Amino acid sequence: MYWGEFLMRNKDVSFWLFLTPVLLGLGLVVIIPLLYGFIYSFTNWNGLAATEFLGLTNYIDLFKEAEFRNSIWFTIKFSVVSVIIINFLGLGLAILVTRGMKTSNFLRTIFFMPNLIGGLILGFIWQFIFVSAFDGIGNLLGIEALQGWLSTTETGFWGLVILTSWQWAGYIMIIYIAYLENIPKDLLEAAEIDGASSFQRFKNIIFPLVAPAFTVSMFLTISHCFKIYDQNLSLTGGGPFNSTQMVAMEIYKTAFNENQMALAQSKGVIFLILVAIISLTNVYYNKKREVDM
Amino acid sequence: VKEMKGKKFYTGVLSALLASSVALAGCGNSGEEEGASADKVTVDVFQFKVEFKDQFESLVEKYEKENPDVDINVKTVGGGNDYGASLKSTFSSGEEPDIFNVGGPSDVEDYREYLADLSDTEASKVALDGTLTSVKDGEETLGLPFNQEGYGFIYNKSVFEEAGVNADEIKTYEDLEKAVKKIDKQKEDLGLEAVFALAAKETWVIGNHLANAFIAPEFDQDILKAYNADTIPFEKGDELKRMLDLQNKYSVQPVLSLDYSQQVEQLFSLGKVAIIKQGNWVYNSIEAMDPEFAENNIGMFPIPVEGFEGKLPVGVPMYWAVNKKSDEEVVQASKDFLDWMYTSDAGKEAVVNDFKFIPAYKGYEDAEIADPLSQEIYNYSSEGNTLGWVFMGSPIGWQEEVLAVNMQQYLSGDISWDEALENARASWEKSRK
Repeated sequence: MYWGEFLMRNKDVSFWLFLTPVLLGLGLVVIIPLLYGFIYSFTNWNGLAATEFLGLTNYIDLFKEAEFRNSIWFTIKFSVVSVIIINFLGLGLAILVTRGMKTSNFLRTIFFMPNLIGGLILGFIWQFIFVSAFDGIGNLLGIEALQGWLSTTETGFWGLVILTSWQWAGYIMIIYIAYLENIPKDLLEAAEIDGASSFQRFKNIIFPLVAPAFTVSMFLTISHCFKIYDQNLSLTGGGPFNSTQMVAMEIYKTAFNENQMALAQSKGVIFLILVAIISLTNVYYNKKREVDM
Repeated sequence: VKEMKGKKFYTGVLSALLASSVALAGCGNSGEEEGASADKVTVDVFQFKVEFKDQFESLVEKYEKENPDVDINVKTVGGGNDYGASLKSTFSSGEEPDIFNVGGPSDVEDYREYLADLSDTEASKVALDGTLTSVKDGEETLGLPFNQEGYGFIYNKSVFEEAGVNADEIKTYEDLEKAVKKIDKQKEDLGLEAVFALAAKETWVIGNHLANAFIAPEFDQDILKAYNADTIPFEKGDELKRMLDLQNKYSVQPVLSLDYSQQVEQLFSLGKVAIIKQGNWVYNSIEAMDPEFAENNIGMFPIPVEGFEGKLPVGVPMYWAVNKKSDEEVVQASKDFLDWMYTSDAGKEAVVNDFKFIPAYKGYEDAEIADPLSQEIYNYSSEGNTLGWVFMGSPIGWQEEVLAVNMQQYLSGDISWDEALENARASWEKSRK
């Protein structure tokens, strides 16, 4: 058939033909909305029509809003703490399950499991644990620190950190495992013969060689932590008094609860820029640190 | 052979693409040809209440059988924000419905040019006092109430009886305080964890409902006054404070993480607390936990507000509106249908038994209203013993995002009560500028 032959001969056309659906999808649901959103953020858009071009008014207003600033600050604090804990736990678990224990495969599955549960449901499960289970144990043993979780900003903060770390440590573990298993055994053996202690081996061989895993994991965890919404919504709902409200949730509320679409859109743009700057800087510096074998 | 396979593969892909594009195009067209046969009047309904979609559609079918010359199409889109947004887009896309829903004064203002005057309908004449205020414009009535909802203090009858407290005698704040203290003293014997469960985590519980009881009087119960007010004086701010304090002091702690489901299901339904501030909507949850308890053992008394003792805050969550720009006969058919739904015997029966509504109209005195809480609310409202709901008239999002958040901050001890009210007032004034 003419068409088939034409396509076979002409690699370029078939290449583009196969790419079209993806490009179309990406363009329609990501790129075009992004451009539209960017334009709308300079107007008084109400969700239906934009009648006035406001210039930078929205961008000036959003920085005057204490609530938005608080949510950015809260998100940054949360992300810093969570990223450190997740990577620490992830690497720890990865080292644990690559030691060649009999239960390794079983443990890997168990550690990865939390990541398979949806964020909303996780939030509700942990809400029950923090509010009811913690309270019950606290009552029984007379430990006051376990009572009244999620009713203060601090416990809300740590609740979110615990939930996120629990969910993500297993996922990050998988990435570390991949790199750990790629470390040539002869390097470690040579070091051992030369008399390096296990800490020295970790510090001088393993750590530098898993550096690329740090780049990947840090990038993933940072962008994930910044953009958290569902866990935030179901665990604390931003409460008490919106003090545990992260940026994504603040933007959602501005748009849909307060009906200020254009303002929310401009917050979204700022948020995008913020996350991009932080993630890309991080990738740049981590890349520099990586060593080639 | 390989080349042949390749050819077949590409032809396969191409024909699949073609087929799917035809199918897609087909989707776009279907549904437009049907309807509009000779002398039938077609009424398009666009409504928000997902909960009663099936029951409503079967009532519509009944109406169509009785009136073969009318054809009613019902489209339902989920509540709250979704409905508002999709209604806006149906209007801007030109597919305007003939019957749709409006919530409060801000909707009425947005859709003013589309709202037909319904004051000549039978239903509008028998609508209970006060249910039409937010859809009145001079002589015109621009909407018909769906139903009513109301809230107050819901209490456990047997606990009250055992404690020797008579709910009917609680009229003033002092009465309430005395009763609460009396129950609190015996709480071990009564098997209670505390007297109240204050769900302060839910911003709507404290910001919309509790606060409304003390804000409504300063706007004379009139949602339109609230809608047009440049500021909010908080004349009853101290009363609101002491009511909040009382509930907090005698509540299961910590209130700031206590949510709706703990309040209603875990604590009240299981007899761990004696009183909760809630509305008729909790009935289904309580019934699911303990049908017998729900049926026989719960009652409601009003939140004591000075000068308005014995009055229950009752409001209309949503209104029916008819599109003025539709053809005259369609407007008439729409009005006839709404009238039939709320005033005919068949309609009334469906409203009470199938929709399980608290009717917002006169003439339901003999009807068996679904549950005891709803019955109580209907009694209060048909006797005119009600306080208005004004919270739909405050700036969008203010009650929950500003007032409730500040009340939570006050409860946590971060700010004083005066600061909380001051913040809330400043935000109101800013959005009304």
